[in-house]
Amino acid sequence: MEKYEKLEKVGEGTYGKVYKAQDKATGQLVALKKTRLEMDEEGIPPTALREISLLQLLSRSIYIVRLLNVEQVEKNGKPLLYLVFEYLDTDLKKFIDSHRRGPNPRPIPSPIIQSFLYQLCKGVAHCHSHGVLHRDLKPQNLLVDKEKGILKIADLGLGRAFTIPLKSYTHEIVTLWYRAPEVLLGTTHYSTGVDIWSVGCIFAEMVRRQSLFPGDSELQQLLHIFRLLGTPTEEQWPGVGSLRDWHAYPQWKPQNLARAVPSLEPEGVDLLSKMLQYDPANRISAKAAMEHPYFDSLDKSQF
Amino acid sequence: MEFDLENPLTSSEDEQHGWGSISALFAAEADHMISTVGLIDLSSRRDAVSLVLQAQFDCNLDPFVAYLAINYIDRFLSKRKIPREKPWIIQLLSIACLSLASKMRKTNLMLADFQGKEGFIFDAQTIQRMELLVLGTLDWRMRSVTPFSFLRFFISFFSPAQPPLLQALKAHATQILLKAQNEIKMLEFKPSVVAASSLLSAAYEIFPIQFPAFRAAVSSCNFVDEDKLWECSIVIGAATVTATDGCDDSSGMGVASSPETPVTVLGRQSSSSESETAVGSSSDGRELKKRRTTSTLHASCDHSG
Ligand SMILES: Nc1ncnc2c1ncn2[C@@H]1O[C@H](COP(=O)(O)OP(=O)(O)O)[C@@H](O)[C@H]1O
Ligand SMILES: [Mg+2]
Repeated sequence: MEKYEKLEKVGEGTYGKVYKAQDKATGQLVALKKTRLEMDEEGIPPTALREISLLQLLSRSIYIVRLLNVEQVEKNGKPLLYLVFEYLDTDLKKFIDSHRRGPNPRPIPSPIIQSFLYQLCKGVAHCHSHGVLHRDLKPQNLLVDKEKGILKIADLGLGRAFTIPLKSYTHEIVTLWYRAPEVLLGTTHYSTGVDIWSVGCIFAEMVRRQSLFPGDSELQQLLHIFRLLGTPTEEQWPGVGSLRDWHAYPQWKPQNLARAVPSLEPEGVDLLSKMLQYDPANRISAKAAMEHPYFDSLDKSQF
Repeated sequence: MEFDLENPLTSSEDEQHGWGSISALFAAEADHMISTVGLIDLSSRRDAVSLVLQAQFDCNLDPFVAYLAINYIDRFLSKRKIPREKPWIIQLLSIACLSLASKMRKTNLMLADFQGKEGFIFDAQTIQRMELLVLGTLDWRMRSVTPFSFLRFFISFFSPAQPPLLQALKAHATQILLKAQNEIKMLEFKPSVVAASSLLSAAYEIFPIQFPAFRAAVSSCNFVDEDKLWECSIVIGAATVTATDGCDDSSGMGVASSPETPVTVLGRQSSSSESETAVGSSSDGRELKKRRTTSTLHASCDHSG
């Protein structure tokens, strides 16, 4: 760790602070993230080894924040592991905020939204093709290089790898606002669809510069969704009525989605609606999303 | 998620059967080759490999753990030189790599199992530090792409596609791969080439009738270079023959490879000097065996009975 000089705190992580730091030898900027992984009698814990090596494998995509190094630090006699990532100057939440408030509020230019969404889909497709669900996609976990117009997925939490057939997972993993309805309704089967739902919410948020479904409790979160998309029916989503937390909800009719994202062109609205399908099996995949006509005007050769 | 040598990129179930995952593997394999095989100190490698195989034998370890450990050792030795005057480092390296490999494979293994009675005893901290040194040297890239990653793909060229036949073919090729790992020359070939060659050798031995069609199908695959396939088959043949010769049955299943396998497997004559160099340079089973008996790890796992 003497290799790095801590510069400032950039984030409050779940397991500790995230620091901006500089590699003393090369001058490269990095982000230092403490993990909860402790070395024990038997050396590196097996789960840590498997997960960090998976993170290292995934981070070879340029749409995933790059894991540069893993450092060991002695703390109170216990060796702790720090992950060293490439540093990006901001995250998507801060980026959206800077367009909403501050000295110069303005919409995010649509080519940037298009490009960020494409990069996000690419990163998500990469994770999914390796059998990994992110499960906590939200603007805070997407890092942005404003200058270069690059977006990368971060905070691929450890312990998110899944194997098919899907196992059930513990609840409360995705931040409420980006949480898919099946998760809110207590499904025991997580699929890639949970990430796509989050991508849809993030897409809408870039356009609106505010959250699409800002619920503050699980019930409120569901009601926000139902009010816009209509209360889901058994025809739309077979099996919804037998999900654990399903109740008799008020019956709302679906609203026109385009009205929620007024500045978005029709192709974009179409893509958004495919990401926000109730039935996870009907939700568009990240790979298919990349082929959607919304991206026709994007110069894909740059990616 | 447990590391599966056959699926190193942890492709999801539907991906594995698709084209995307196999082309990703072919794209990734170059990254997983050791570009500096020449830098590996042969005697260090031989010592480390025999320590690992001895441990595998003594502790009845999953052969894939040993295989993966040797993969790590090779990659480590291609990047760092071990001082000759410090032979204990080789022992420490072998222990650390075995430990890492068994953790990747989710095999339970007590480090104490590997500590030799007559050899050096390393404390937990030393082993832990060596683990971190290995991880750092290998850039934490522990999900190695190996020939095993390509077996599924090349087996799909075999006809008739009857599960019992395919299983037998795969099992036999697996034994060949485990044996041939002793031979450092294997590192000069891409994992996919090694995989295809091992399957061809296996088919030649156990399915002679289907072999010609299988060979034609594999050779016509765009991903493989036929010359390399041939070269590699020769090396594999020599390596597996030597191992059998030396009565060295460390992997526990004798591969009955006939001596002519290497030269006929692709239907060519072996008059070229290439085959001779390959045979001449292969590791000597007897030598391995001798070292093993004097190994400090010997008899360290008597509890395993
Ligand atoms: N590589 C990085 N470069 C710049 N900022 C980062 C980097 N990684 C994380 N951050 C900042 O730190 C915050 C928390 O990091 P994150 O990895 O999401 O940890 P947590 O698991 O605690 O959410 C992020 O929202 C982001 O603002
Ligand atoms: Mg986060």
